[in-house]
Amino acid sequence: MALRWSKVSPRLALIPALTVTLVAFAGAIGWTIWMSFTRSRRFPDYAIDHTLWARQYERLFSDGVWVTSLKNVVVLAIGSALAIVLGFILAAMIEKEKRGEGFFRTIFLYPLAVSLIVTGIVWRWMFNPALGIQNFLHQLGWESANFNWLADPATAIYGIILASIWHGLGFYMALMLAGLKSINTEIWSAAKLDGVSFWRLYVEIIIPMLKFTFLTCAILLSLGVVKTYDIVLAMTNGGPGTSTWTPAYFAINAYSTRSNIGYASAAAVIMLLITVAVFLPLMAITAWQARRREAAAI
Amino acid sequence: MSSALAYEASPAARSSNRVYPRRRRRVKGASIAIIVFLAMCAAFVSIPLYVVIVTSFKTMDQIALGEIFSLPTTWTLEGWWKAWAEVCSGMTCEGVRHGFFVSLAILFPSLFLSIALASVTGYALALWNVRWAGPFLFVLFMCAFVPFQIIMIPLVALTASIGIYGSIWAIAIVHAVLAMPLLTLIFRNFYKDVPPEIINAAIMDSGSFWRIFAEIILPMSGNIMIVVLILMITSVWNDFLIGLTFGGMGNQPMTVILANTVITERGEVHYNVDMAAALLTAIPPLVVYFGLGKFFVQGITAGAIKG
Repeated sequence: MALRWSKVSPRLALIPALTVTLVAFAGAIGWTIWMSFTRSRRFPDYAIDHTLWARQYERLFSDGVWVTSLKNVVVLAIGSALAIVLGFILAAMIEKEKRGEGFFRTIFLYPLAVSLIVTGIVWRWMFNPALGIQNFLHQLGWESANFNWLADPATAIYGIILASIWHGLGFYMALMLAGLKSINTEIWSAAKLDGVSFWRLYVEIIIPMLKFTFLTCAILLSLGVVKTYDIVLAMTNGGPGTSTWTPAYFAINAYSTRSNIGYASAAAVIMLLITVAVFLPLMAITAWQARRREAAAI
Repeated sequence: MSSALAYEASPAARSSNRVYPRRRRRVKGASIAIIVFLAMCAAFVSIPLYVVIVTSFKTMDQIALGEIFSLPTTWTLEGWWKAWAEVCSGMTCEGVRHGFFVSLAILFPSLFLSIALASVTGYALALWNVRWAGPFLFVLFMCAFVPFQIIMIPLVALTASIGIYGSIWAIAIVHAVLAMPLLTLIFRNFYKDVPPEIINAAIMDSGSFWRIFAEIILPMSGNIMIVVLILMITSVWNDFLIGLTFGGMGNQPMTVILANTVITERGEVHYNVDMAAALLTAIPPLVVYFGLGKFFVQGITAGAIKG
């Protein structure tokens, strides 16, 4: 009796998770993809006009704001990559120095516990032209200092990048630190004995050894950038004009402000495609690492 | 604080200390340069927190002088009180406290639902022979990275059709649904290292699926529970989009109230109130972080890599 139940129970226990996966993920994604081919507006309309099935996508890519959003994602990804570079430098320094490791790690990581809305509001205050950093620099006598980035469509996105780096820096540092600690100690002593210079050690040995940590960081960063929404809302609310819109902002705006389900779905589908394109390398890495681990076990 | 965060003094670090005990004592030029650079970066990271704290205690008269880094000349709790109880968000003027209690009310069911669902699923997939466990884990791995926007609209329709849209339960359930793939993977990775002998012995001992879970597995998962709990507390508390989309008008969590308050503020802007409201929203996760930093680090790295 007990044995029979032990065969049935695990399957019963998996039913909720399976239901969630099938309904809330697979089903919902399918529904959104379907909607993106229809002309649904406020309410879903399931009919697809087969001659004009790509109408939402055609509209989307001829929409200047959407093109701006896509450009912003690229700018954000490139700009935020600085967080990975800086995170590596900080991790390497903390690992080399060791003094104050716990202290510095605590400081660098705390922004991650703060929500992106709070981050955005805090940085908006720092960027305040009359009362923030700019005014402080002017009072110091640097009259030409311009820190009013958020007011100018050309620089607003860099303000968002700065705040994102502040928020994410510690995360990449923690990943890099974990990567550095997994490196065999003998390499450090061997390098010391051979008299390998500091720069060569890092550029030619350490960084190549950490290439998968770097790649993981880059992929996680890109996945995060595609979803950028909260911080834009809190810092600029898409403005000035539409200069800091992102695809996530666009999709939600199309749904909640313009009440256009078809259009919002098309934008969401493109977001999914970007995610998949970024995600495939991650899969490849995981498979590769699993194989390496198996090989090591044998 | 620092000892709590020394989450893994790696064997590498320890052995090199032993090999070169003298080297570490001598403060070299390179060491000083490194510490100065680290301190500068630490200043960049801490300045916003400092500025927000001092601004929240200032009077508006002092803020108007524009000295963003100066300490308050007269420390006042006026901004904090207004932020907590009086500030307007949209039509209502009752401060962020309403949001605080809504966020708390969302937090507990979200934690319970997501952890119950994910731990049982992870346990079943890790320790019981389920034929399609491999493909299912792969699907979960993909779901963990899906952007929320692609499932948002159907979930709104779904919650509306079962009549919970706009309630705390809608927000909690959506949190549990979105967290399920990642948490299941974390639990499964933890449970798969449980020796199979234990489970086999327990089955022989006529232990059923649920009894083994309750009497053997749960008692040994204290560590992973804390890690997951912290991961969920910070992500649920800091969430904005789910609360905004599923909360309707009456059940907006604290982040949504905060955003409404600050972004839609009209007329004279009270920066001290804004900053106090931001701090009030940030304090719960920060307390969790500074109190249990070790587990926080484990949580985010587990969530990032092993997910």
